[in-house]
Amino acid sequence: MLSDSISTAPIPSAANTKNLGKKKRTNRSAKLKQCKIDARREQWLSQGAVKNKGRKDAGDNNHAPSMPDGKDSKRSLEELEMRPRGEDNYGSVHQDSDVESPYNSPTSVDSSVLGSNNSGTLFSGSSGSSSSSSAGCCSGNITDEEVEEGDDGCFDDWEAVADALAADEKHQNSSSEAPHEQETTVQKDSPVEKANGSNFGAQNFHPESASLISQASGNTRAWRPDDAFRPQCLPNLSKQFSLPNPDRRYGGGMVRARSAVPHSCPICCEDLDFTDSSFLPCPCGFRLCLFCHKRILEEDGRCPGCRKTYECEPVETEACVHGGSLTLRLARSCSLIERS
Amino acid sequence: MQASRARLFKEYKEVQREKTADPDIQLVCDDSNIFKWTALIKGPSETPYEGGVFQLAFAVPEQYPLQPPQVRFLTKIFHPNVHFKTGEICLDILKNAWSPAWTLQSVCRAIIALMAHPEPDSPLNCDSGNLLRSGDVRGFQSMAKMYTRLAAMPKKG
Repeated sequence: MLSDSISTAPIPSAANTKNLGKKKRTNRSAKLKQCKIDARREQWLSQGAVKNKGRKDAGDNNHAPSMPDGKDSKRSLEELEMRPRGEDNYGSVHQDSDVESPYNSPTSVDSSVLGSNNSGTLFSGSSGSSSSSSAGCCSGNITDEEVEEGDDGCFDDWEAVADALAADEKHQNSSSEAPHEQETTVQKDSPVEKANGSNFGAQNFHPESASLISQASGNTRAWRPDDAFRPQCLPNLSKQFSLPNPDRRYGGGMVRARSAVPHSCPICCEDLDFTDSSFLPCPCGFRLCLFCHKRILEEDGRCPGCRKTYECEPVETEACVHGGSLTLRLARSCSLIERS
Repeated sequence: MQASRARLFKEYKEVQREKTADPDIQLVCDDSNIFKWTALIKGPSETPYEGGVFQLAFAVPEQYPLQPPQVRFLTKIFHPNVHFKTGEICLDILKNAWSPAWTLQSVCRAIIALMAHPEPDSPLNCDSGNLLRSGDVRGFQSMAKMYTRLAAMPKKG
């Protein structure tokens, strides 16, 4: 290295020495790094095989002539052990931001799972009428939506898709969690619950006036405008207020419900929002966020999962998502019918 | 830029968490630069590289993970797909077959797989490739073993 710089640089001697000094310094830091890595290798190897302990010290001496005996090498190892801890601290700072999303997802999953479990155990025995009534409520809801969709056949834009999915999510929430709530009231006082059940039963018998009666029951129960259990068929005045919270809860629940959906983009590691997690650009099922998808389309346009070029144009992917939500809704209504 | 940083942090955390998951790979990030990584990999068993520990240098571009990381061997290795002097690696997933779904860890695994299954038809090390292509597996293995012993094993004394 030294001879190289001398031969190639016929420049003034001051600059030359400066250059040399600089090189020496970089050399030293590089040596230090290499020394650390070597020590790390020794540590790694000694973890697996204790038998070549003697060789370890010898190896350290060999790599780092400045360390005369085993003690010093030990110290260097200690320093190494210190270092990762510091790095861990460094990492944990960033973990904070990450913790947030898994933190709220498991709880929401738990709650939703709990709700569905409870509804399953409770309504298999005691009050079939109320569960079937909730199914009726939902089916009314679905027909409403289908009428809405029937108007133009497909969604106008992404916001429409998101809204529809959110609506879907909301009535799923209401169907799975409303029974749960009722169950809690059972523990307090059963007569109220029974009254409620009969109320719902009445709704079941007169499906044509479903929305009216549920509104009536809503009056008795006094839904808050941002209540997650609020039936979808109620007039939705404060949609903007009610949307974000259930969105989050559902985002967590969906990760478990459809196990293939990761909660962060595997490419950029940002959390997938609702639009992203319902975005399925490739038939192989590899999911990523819209941002990364766009960047990939700008580069080589191949799916990271299967390395095939993305065939769908954005319009078609929208249709794809639309279809997915439809099948999802169908599956849900089927499961509801089965439960009732 | 920001995306690559976030992604590398994630990989760093993953590596810290699963330190013992893959005993053949030790992936270390540079203290001061998250775009520079060093890996130590153990030569796969039943190959001439068995018993050696090979050091890899990763240079991660800012477009990562859309662009593949640049990887080269720092330890000398006698392998048809590794340049003997520069340590450059001829591996499709580091070139045109790269996918953003790969991680540094999986690249290490791919390189270990390449060590076990050399591709003599696209050689960077012609001597090694010619030995294999002419069917002199024994000659190749003894050469590879010799260099493993010389360069990749902890020196005694």
